[in-house]
Amino acid sequence: MSEIDCDKVLQLVWQFLDGEMDEVHYKEIEAHVADCAHCEQRVSFERRLRVLIETKCQEGPVPVELKRRLFKFLDS
Amino acid sequence: MAAPQPRTTPQDDRERFQTLAEEHLNGLFGAALRLTRNRTRAEDLLQETFLRAWRSFRTFQPGTNARAWLYKILMNAYIDSYRKTTREPEVVDHDDVDEFYLYTKVQESDDFRRAGNPEEEVLSRLMDADVKGALDSLPESFRQVVILSDIEGFSYQEIADILSIPIGTVMSRLHRGRRQLQVKLWEYAKRAHYVSADSPPARSGPR
Repeated sequence: MSEIDCDKVLQLVWQFLDGEMDEVHYKEIEAHVADCAHCEQRVSFERRLRVLIETKCQEGPVPVELKRRLFKFLDS
Repeated sequence: MAAPQPRTTPQDDRERFQTLAEEHLNGLFGAALRLTRNRTRAEDLLQETFLRAWRSFRTFQPGTNARAWLYKILMNAYIDSYRKTTREPEVVDHDDVDEFYLYTKVQESDDFRRAGNPEEEVLSRLMDADVKGALDSLPESFRQVVILSDIEGFSYQEIADILSIPIGTVMSRLHRGRRQLQVKLWEYAKRAHYVSADSPPARSGPR
């Protein structure tokens, strides 16, 4: 088991999921989460929530008519 | 005064610009919709973005981060139009809310626990309109960083560059924005849950 404790993992969860930390810390947290069901459940929920937010906020492709209008100024 | 000699013909520039802009068009349009919360304003914002981008295209260095460059122009155009039309709503901080607010709420809820797998239950209850509505409800400065991070996938440093703010401010706004988003999502999830719990069970009774 690594030295890092649950409080520290949960405090850094977003930086961890964002991949915004150095590799040593990242690996420490990864190892802790793999061994700790308490943290694993929480981290996994946050990860799924992130995917959900990204997916639900996607828009379809820009309509052809709008695209034509947007680039019209380049014709002049 | 002599204009600098262009390296390429104007027609080449137009084509290069349009190719670059089209590559990021769908993403920029999605971000414009989330920012303005209104289709007409999103289209206007996108048009303004492309006009500005075209005007400064000569100074754009090929090989640099084109996507971040376009989003910076989009954000600047948005912030300019936004300052003209609206006032910043008050930022309410939820001190008692942590990173796991939604997780904790569903675990504590008898209604969600009865469903067997409360995490699964809440994630499946949240509809597109709920998530978009929750995002729309965030204060402007939080919304911008959440859109750039969680929907557009930019790094903290890229967001700092796009918005011209320090990276610490990016993190603080992003984290506060995400907490507030969870508070709102919990409101929607509860409502969706009760609505569904109130409606008659579909298959349990005789048909």
